[in-house]
Amino acid sequence: MSVLEWVKSTRVFRSIYRNPYPSTTKSRLAVMVDSLVLHLHPARIVRRGTWVTYTWGLGGLSAWMFVILTVTGVFLMWYYIPNVQDAYWSIRAIESEVVFGQFMRNLHRWAAHAMVILVFLHMCRVFYTGAYKPPREFNWVIGVALLTLTFLMSFTGYLLPWDQLAYWAITVGTNIGGATPFIGDQINFLLLGGYEIGQATLIRWYTLHVIFLPLAVIGLMSLHFWRVRKDGGISTPVLEDDEEPGVPPAMEEG
Amino acid sequence: MTAMATPETQTQARSARAAGRGAQATASSPNPMEKVLVWPYLVRIEFIAALLFLLLLSVMAVFIDAPLAPLANPDVTPNPAKAPWYFLGLQELLLHMDKALAGVIVPGAVLLGLAALPYIDVRRKGTGVWFYSPRGVPITVFSFVYTSIWNVALILLDEYLPVPGEAGAHGIGPIIKYWLHNLQAAGWPLGDGLINAVTGWLVPSFIMLLIPASLMLIVKRRWQADTREQAIALFTFFVASFAVLTIVGTAFRGPGMVLMWPWEIPPANH
Repeated sequence: MSVLEWVKSTRVFRSIYRNPYPSTTKSRLAVMVDSLVLHLHPARIVRRGTWVTYTWGLGGLSAWMFVILTVTGVFLMWYYIPNVQDAYWSIRAIESEVVFGQFMRNLHRWAAHAMVILVFLHMCRVFYTGAYKPPREFNWVIGVALLTLTFLMSFTGYLLPWDQLAYWAITVGTNIGGATPFIGDQINFLLLGGYEIGQATLIRWYTLHVIFLPLAVIGLMSLHFWRVRKDGGISTPVLEDDEEPGVPPAMEEG
Repeated sequence: MTAMATPETQTQARSARAAGRGAQATASSPNPMEKVLVWPYLVRIEFIAALLFLLLLSVMAVFIDAPLAPLANPDVTPNPAKAPWYFLGLQELLLHMDKALAGVIVPGAVLLGLAALPYIDVRRKGTGVWFYSPRGVPITVFSFVYTSIWNVALILLDEYLPVPGEAGAHGIGPIIKYWLHNLQAAGWPLGDGLINAVTGWLVPSFIMLLIPASLMLIVKRRWQADTREQAIALFTFFVASFAVLTIVGTAFRGPGMVLMWPWEIPPANH
């Protein structure tokens, strides 16, 4: 018996993985149903749903960017100090003193840009394939909310390095918010936590960036994925004959 | 594009439904509506895509450093001060009209319009098919080009159209303001507030509505576009405007937000 086979035969291993490696139809169905991440998908799917040229994998990749951003983000949080005296110098320390610090900061930045682009492209894919049509209307609305949150997550992160780029980009951004008709001053105060960009702004945006917005995204993403399944799975062509309005859509999973 | 709307895919879908679930595919042409196992047929694609992206971004992170400018200094204003790239389309819009219109009303209206889309285009026909109909691709291409030409032309006009009698002044709004001030001087009862409302709000709003409205008219006349095809034209108008404004705002705006070639823009002064 090889070491691998012995490991696989232990009580501990079998308590973690209930199924053998998915190599038979039965175990391949079981693995989809029994595991937390994989059960986002149904066990079977229409063949065209696996075509790369249909979805381009953009929604899944957006979610994957979120995972990379969470991991690199937690790493950065170990060293970053959300305080106007220290913020900039803690970033400098991440870049020069922390092992893999520069790499993790770079990866966080490039994955953030990638997420903005991927989410936008995902919206274009869903639009041009008509995948927002009934019964998927509300999931499209959730998607628009997720697009907005993606912009906000990226923008709140932009202030944190407390460098000239951050300070003046946020000046431009909050000036725009301050131009809101009737309640511009209040919006500006809300965004800045005061009358000018300072400690109150930094801690406010930091909190939004590392806790509130990610939690909101996790909540909406869960709803988004769940609704994909509940609304009939991956979108497939609808035939002319079952188009009458008012006919409930087939809720079979696809 | 494999998933293009063709009579063939429609027929395939039809026959697949007719054959019922679990229809067996022939070896030569797999049935697109046949059910396949997600493990391995989908999971392997997702796994490879995830690895590929992690690899690409890691390589990027090794070779390209995230920017870090000197410590924030409220006394030194960089010229130009720019927002992150995804907001530079909005920042570009700010140059051409009232701040509140460009920075709040327009993005708010865009988000509301996007959210309202599935409640306006309610027919299920066209679900799951790239570009909907044989007319979908030409409408998309035309809408993109049409919108881009409008955008570029308006940006150029606003940058280079001189205001008579005022050295260095330029733009559509300032010219209209110049005319209205002349009328005001001639005794017309025009308040400054009214003049600003016309140049900052009325004229830009009219132009921003004129582009999609004329586009709608053209696609209806030229292609007899139905609701979905009109939605395609409108969405493409949004994507093209976002793209052109973002590119111009990012790469073609130098000190003082003056329009210039990317290679003419001096390095940032912090």
